[in-house]
Amino acid sequence: MVKAEAVHKSFGRLEVLRGIDLEVAPKEVMCMIGPSGSGKSTFLRCINHLEKIDAGRLSVDGELVGYRQRGNKLYELPDAEVCKKRSEIGMVFQRFNLFPHMTALANIMEAPLLVKKESRTTAEARARKLLDRVGLADKVDSYPNQLSGGQQQRVAIARALAMEPKLMLFDEPTSALDPELVGEVLDVMRSLARDGMTMVVVTHEMGFAREVGDSLVFMDGGVIVETGTPRDVLSSPKHERTKAFLSKVL
Amino acid sequence: MTETVSGPSIPGSQAGKRPETIKAIPVRHPWRWLSGAVVLAIAGDIVYTIVTAPNLNWGVVGAFLFGRLIREGIVITLELTVLAMAIGVGLGIVMAVMRLSPNPVVSWVSWLYIWFFRGTPVLVQIFFWYNLNIVLPHIGIGIPGTPFNLQAGTNQLINPFLAATLGLGLNEAAYMAEIVRAGIISVEHGQTEAAQALGMTRLQVMRRIVLPQAMRVIIPPTGNETISMLKTSSLAFVAAVPELFTRSEQISSANFAVVELAIVASIWYLVMTSILTVGQYYLERYFARGSQRELPPTPWQRFRKILFTGHVPPPIEAPIPLPRAH
Repeated sequence: MVKAEAVHKSFGRLEVLRGIDLEVAPKEVMCMIGPSGSGKSTFLRCINHLEKIDAGRLSVDGELVGYRQRGNKLYELPDAEVCKKRSEIGMVFQRFNLFPHMTALANIMEAPLLVKKESRTTAEARARKLLDRVGLADKVDSYPNQLSGGQQQRVAIARALAMEPKLMLFDEPTSALDPELVGEVLDVMRSLARDGMTMVVVTHEMGFAREVGDSLVFMDGGVIVETGTPRDVLSSPKHERTKAFLSKVL
Repeated sequence: MTETVSGPSIPGSQAGKRPETIKAIPVRHPWRWLSGAVVLAIAGDIVYTIVTAPNLNWGVVGAFLFGRLIREGIVITLELTVLAMAIGVGLGIVMAVMRLSPNPVVSWVSWLYIWFFRGTPVLVQIFFWYNLNIVLPHIGIGIPGTPFNLQAGTNQLINPFLAATLGLGLNEAAYMAEIVRAGIISVEHGQTEAAQALGMTRLQVMRRIVLPQAMRVIIPPTGNETISMLKTSSLAFVAAVPELFTRSEQISSANFAVVELAIVASIWYLVMTSILTVGQYYLERYFARGSQRELPPTPWQRFRKILFTGHVPPPIEAPIPLPRAH
């Protein structure tokens, strides 16, 4: 589903990604861990072209992200096509980023109405179903600031799901939450994984990674240090850097 | 058994029960009363001196306050204000979006516009439009090489009313552009990212996500601009537009009651700005949707509360925390 080959990315003179190679299979849940500044979030944002990569190849579902290859030349995709590609990838942010001027229901309906040109009835029916799925059927008319952090993040997940994405990206979805609210968000993600959604999850929740993840990637300094099944990486890390990191967070 | 606890007793206190609400004698503030009295006395004296000025004829004020010419002037003042603000807000949004455009030429043109129209007095700008016909007798649009060509005399095209509207509106657009830009910048970048991640185009993000949120920042200064415009519209006087001030001037040049007619105009300007102030309050309240958990009470709601409880609620600025639903 996602394939990265030698992906490089710099911000000015700071090289954030220094050659990322990885592959995410359909229905796979890949968790990415690592210290802050290691490039996990940047890589995630490259996948839906919120950031442009400088070198290497990155493709989703067999198609290059942000470019089209013809012969030996790469052509930048026009905005309209970038938008279309993005609409097929759901993203959940650390700080929720719900639209504060819209109710929970309107938040979820907005993109299907605007981007997919769905009818109001279809969009609303699906939005209600999704809110029900994340356990917030009674919060249809609430504005984001009337919801707790955990509830907001669940609405944000429902908002991403409303576009029926083939891939979901989670950028530290529980890092901004009170500890007691983390569980409700992880529950929703767990059920998504169970339903066969392909997911890339940047997280600090080692328990979640171990239980739900099919693979685990440890990143540091813009490179992948170690990768394997969560059980292997977490219980018997091979690399010194991984051991040092895990000894601090576990 | 001896009692070991001494000190003031808590009335109505029993184990596990909330004690009575405290009713203490408030601290007295004699200096507040005194300074209040001094300020009132000075203000009162100034008002009294003016109101009882020996040559001020209040009869004239009363006679012209609802006169036909004045009423017509008010209508034109309102028309000028509405049209100039419409141009100002519309063009201001366009200029603000252009200013933030990734296209450097577009952004630069917007900068130039703002620089020019903010850098010259609005009075001069009205004067310019009013006298344009002197240097440019004909205005036309056409596409070279085609028969499409429209021409009109500048004087027929730009009448005094339009000259004033253009002068006021184009000038206002420069100020509104800066206000709108500040509003757009104030919206957190995560909002744009979230919308982009959902597949929205730049224009959709701007129209549906950023601008509605920017409104909360844009509305208060826009209200001020509208109130200010209502008064600035009196500059249309130089283009001989028969608005409120021009009319009061015309009347006083006939009957020499200059101050009386200035008072008439002032009364109407005050009435109109007061109405606008109330309107602004409700508009701000509408756009605060979603940013405050509970909307602040309207003046009417506050008035009723004072009436029925005898308690003056403080004006609410900060969001009221609601108990979390957990």
